[in-house]
Amino acid sequence: MKRNQLLRLSAAVLFMGGLLSGLDSTAYDNTRWGAGYFPNVELTTQDGTKVHFYDDLIKGKMVVIELIYTRCVDACPLETARLAQVQRMLGDRVGKEIFFYSISIDPEQDTPKVLKEYAEKYHAGPGWLFLTGKKDDIDLISQKLGLYAPPNDRNRDGHTPAVVIGNEVTGQWMRNSATDNPRFLAILIGDWMNSWKNRQAETPKSYADASVLKIADKGQYIFATHCAACHTIGHGDKIGPDLRGVTSLRDRAWLARFIARPDQMIAEGDPVATELFKKYKQVNMPDLRLADEDIHALIDYMQNQTETAAPEPASGAHP
Amino acid sequence: MTRKSDREEVFFLSEKAPKRRLEDATNARKNRAEIVKAFSHGQVSRRELMKLGLITGGGLLAPIPGLNPFMTSACAKGGGGGSVDTIPTGAPPSPLFGVQAFTQPMPRFDVLPRAPIPAVVDATHPHPLNPVPTATANQTQMAVDPALGGGSGPIEGRPPGAIWAHQRFNIFPPQVAVEVTQEGAKANAVYNPGVPSSLNSGINPAQALAPKFHPGLPAQSSLAMWTFNGTIPPKLIQGRYGEPILFRHHNKLPADVSQNGGFGRHTISTHEHNGHHGAENDGFTGAYFFPNQFYDYHWPIVLAGRDTVNVNATDPRAGSPNGSGGITKVPGDWRETMSSHWFHDHMFSFTAQNVYKGMAGMFNIYSALDRGNEAINDGVNLRLPSGTAKDFGNLDYDVNLMVADKAWDQNGQLFFDIFNFDGFLGDIMTVNLSYKPFFEVERRKYRFRILNGSASRFVKIALSDGSPMIQIANDGNLLPHPVTLTQLDELGIAERYDIVIDFSRYTVGSKVWMVNLAAHENGKKPSADLTLSQALSGTSLDPCVGKFLEFRIVRNPVRSDVSQVPDPLIPNPDLSSIPVARTRSFDFGGDATQSSTNPITAFTGPWGISTDGGTRLNADFGRVSAAPKFGTREVWTLTNSGGGWDHPIHIHFEEGQILARNGSAANVPAWETGRKDVYRLRPGGSVTLTMQFRDWGGMFMEHCHNTVHEDNAMLLRWELDDGGAPFLRPLPTPIPSPQGVTFISPDEVLSTAL
Repeated sequence: MKRNQLLRLSAAVLFMGGLLSGLDSTAYDNTRWGAGYFPNVELTTQDGTKVHFYDDLIKGKMVVIELIYTRCVDACPLETARLAQVQRMLGDRVGKEIFFYSISIDPEQDTPKVLKEYAEKYHAGPGWLFLTGKKDDIDLISQKLGLYAPPNDRNRDGHTPAVVIGNEVTGQWMRNSATDNPRFLAILIGDWMNSWKNRQAETPKSYADASVLKIADKGQYIFATHCAACHTIGHGDKIGPDLRGVTSLRDRAWLARFIARPDQMIAEGDPVATELFKKYKQVNMPDLRLADEDIHALIDYMQNQTETAAPEPASGAHP
Repeated sequence: MTRKSDREEVFFLSEKAPKRRLEDATNARKNRAEIVKAFSHGQVSRRELMKLGLITGGGLLAPIPGLNPFMTSACAKGGGGGSVDTIPTGAPPSPLFGVQAFTQPMPRFDVLPRAPIPAVVDATHPHPLNPVPTATANQTQMAVDPALGGGSGPIEGRPPGAIWAHQRFNIFPPQVAVEVTQEGAKANAVYNPGVPSSLNSGINPAQALAPKFHPGLPAQSSLAMWTFNGTIPPKLIQGRYGEPILFRHHNKLPADVSQNGGFGRHTISTHEHNGHHGAENDGFTGAYFFPNQFYDYHWPIVLAGRDTVNVNATDPRAGSPNGSGGITKVPGDWRETMSSHWFHDHMFSFTAQNVYKGMAGMFNIYSALDRGNEAINDGVNLRLPSGTAKDFGNLDYDVNLMVADKAWDQNGQLFFDIFNFDGFLGDIMTVNLSYKPFFEVERRKYRFRILNGSASRFVKIALSDGSPMIQIANDGNLLPHPVTLTQLDELGIAERYDIVIDFSRYTVGSKVWMVNLAAHENGKKPSADLTLSQALSGTSLDPCVGKFLEFRIVRNPVRSDVSQVPDPLIPNPDLSSIPVARTRSFDFGGDATQSSTNPITAFTGPWGISTDGGTRLNADFGRVSAAPKFGTREVWTLTNSGGGWDHPIHIHFEEGQILARNGSAANVPAWETGRKDVYRLRPGGSVTLTMQFRDWGGMFMEHCHNTVHEDNAMLLRWELDDGGAPFLRPLPTPIPSPQGVTFISPDEVLSTAL
């Protein structure tokens, strides 16, 4: 529909209450989810480059899109850390055939400069853009991607911790948990969305080699699913500190409280929490809303790992 | 960051509003959708719209008559393809091409052929399936289409290895083969309604049925609609207890993933809902198979409790029709007899699209109690309306109905809004994939097995004259006592209600209609249950409210109606002597965010397979370690703590019994006093239920049943370990590819991946 057509139609609506007609553009092929669907609004990258959402970011590409904001104390840090893992698994395909976009839903705060620092904190590689823009435009993108959720008491920031994975060429789009197993996400993005045309370098295991979960250790499981994107035990600092020995370094009650409400402890000015926050590039430790019994299982696991792990250098494993 | 709260204004116009006002609103809805579309396509800017006075600074459509149907309503910002709620979701109204309601006969389900498998297969008694089914997946290699990466891959898509082998394949060797394809829409030249034309509203089965929702509507293209065998009407499988079925499912969908008509995924996994089978046959969401592959599903069809109750098969009520009027006794608890199942695609992340695209059928299970013969009077047979000609499975007066809302584009081709994760609503009601049909009936009792096959729509059924219906089953399980109702409860997605309507009260030549009373504004939950007169007034803004199926009373019974609706039907299993091993409670955090995040993983969480999308990453594995014990029963309370959504929660395994709603047994309506497998929590509500854990405990999995919500990618196995202590054990997650299935071990920690 041309602009002048719309003007005429608008007039008709306003003055006659008539029907708009003849505007249908739905085709029954995958062009349905193309230029006619995605808003071509302007966004700005972390390097200050102006881009158009459809023309520059979506058209002809395989994409992974998440909504974030740098002040997030909930799931965003874990999401972004997970995606960083996924990016490494996909290797140099990211930036060539697959593109990652983290779009800020707090664009006034998240200037290109802020986003650039954020990207560096998470070791985001080439092919991963952090984007800001006009609030209305971003809201529209968020609605179009099915990621919008109105804020409320349970969900303080109105943000959906999900990624949208799509292939504009084939018209295949799906939403997945942003905090899923990163290998699973990498396979979904790298193989599945691309019809196995450019297989992962590292394929998963054969049936004979794959194991069932043998150790029913709750702490290990929580560590793997909630902590390992940012922390190791004895393999050096990542986004957050190496947690080997943390159970002797910190008082158990302090640890439990910090795991439960890291944002609150920083807000209260807890000296240790504040120091850690500064030391680790002011990356917010996410509030993962773990139950007390889970937190204690996690602390037990960290303690146990520290005791059993062979001594290793506390640093140097950083890529 | 906090964002200002969206105003949650009532997005609803009273049904009593003047007709003119309602017409205006209808037009406004259309206009509004067009403007929003133009805006979203970038053809016009927000600023221009503001200059024109068409929207306000806050992004709301201006309160101008002819534009905003509700004047004060907020721009509803659910996820999905538009910034306003529309029905159909994210699209203009479906054009009807001049077609009128109730001008076509409703086709009965298309009965799939049953091929007997010889007890001993030899040269003179060949197996009907080639290749012959195997316990573990058939890994014979074939060339893979270049569109799927080329190379070679296995002919069967079932994951290889012992975990995915058919359990007890030798104990329950398949006796009947049912072979189907999944393929694009085409004409049906082999339609078998299972009844003569006179009982199928005069439809001539010899005349090929085009894939059309109505003869006056365009045929669906082979890309727009994908069904079992590529044809309509939907398919019916007839099975009976003690007669294991091998369901061989061939994937004949396009190898090129982009050839999908705008929605749907060519990889599929078929779930027999709510079969009491092993997990390898359950249509696990992550065990999908590819174009040109097949998957063998083994459905043993056993009564729950077969290993512990009536193990010597001495009770004739635990039985199966023997083909000649008698009963073949089978082990298990007769009070666990199931009757009306359905089967549907359960593809990871694409279930809603694929089911909507046509991948749904029904499965009637016959038993000594419910044998589909109304004449046999053996003291066991309940003699429900069905027919008399065959020993079992008479369909004459036993009618499957699949109710589903659809939408199509300007070319008449099916449309689905793939970006709406809150729930997709169509604007066209179909029954058995035909648009508002009529069905000819005799003046006698009929049984209707009603399935809600919608993606997100709840339906609430009444008869247009307000006369009674007798509900006899819920979720396919006969109730302890029949319940007479003038309105059925809301029927959630995947739920089944079996009802009996006695048309003898009508005169020949009269008509009566099935009416939908449940109005939606979006796919999250029904917005209102209307009164019958409101629903019939034609004023609801939800186009799927009102009459959707016309019954034409065409003649007196050809034979006298000897069917009965006895009371009692099937009492519940008596659990009083089985101690409650444990009680658990699960909170579904029913607000929009939780739901749009992935509400059902909040459910799968209890089993430890969920990471629930991020905001409620709690306590999953702890619950695994507290898994149900084999042979015990538990009491669970499921709570929907928010008011914005309703969740139909599906629990695999065994049927459960609802003990309480909102904490009180008195709140459990009579029609929910039987066994169920889908539990509608209702906004802000809770359901307390009890279940047993038996038989196929060697392996199970579970997942959710809100088809628009995502499924989870992991599998759990529940088994007895060497020490006899039961626990849930996460299994390697299968990663299917056309070249073969690989696995991710559940204990891959990936801590060093960064």
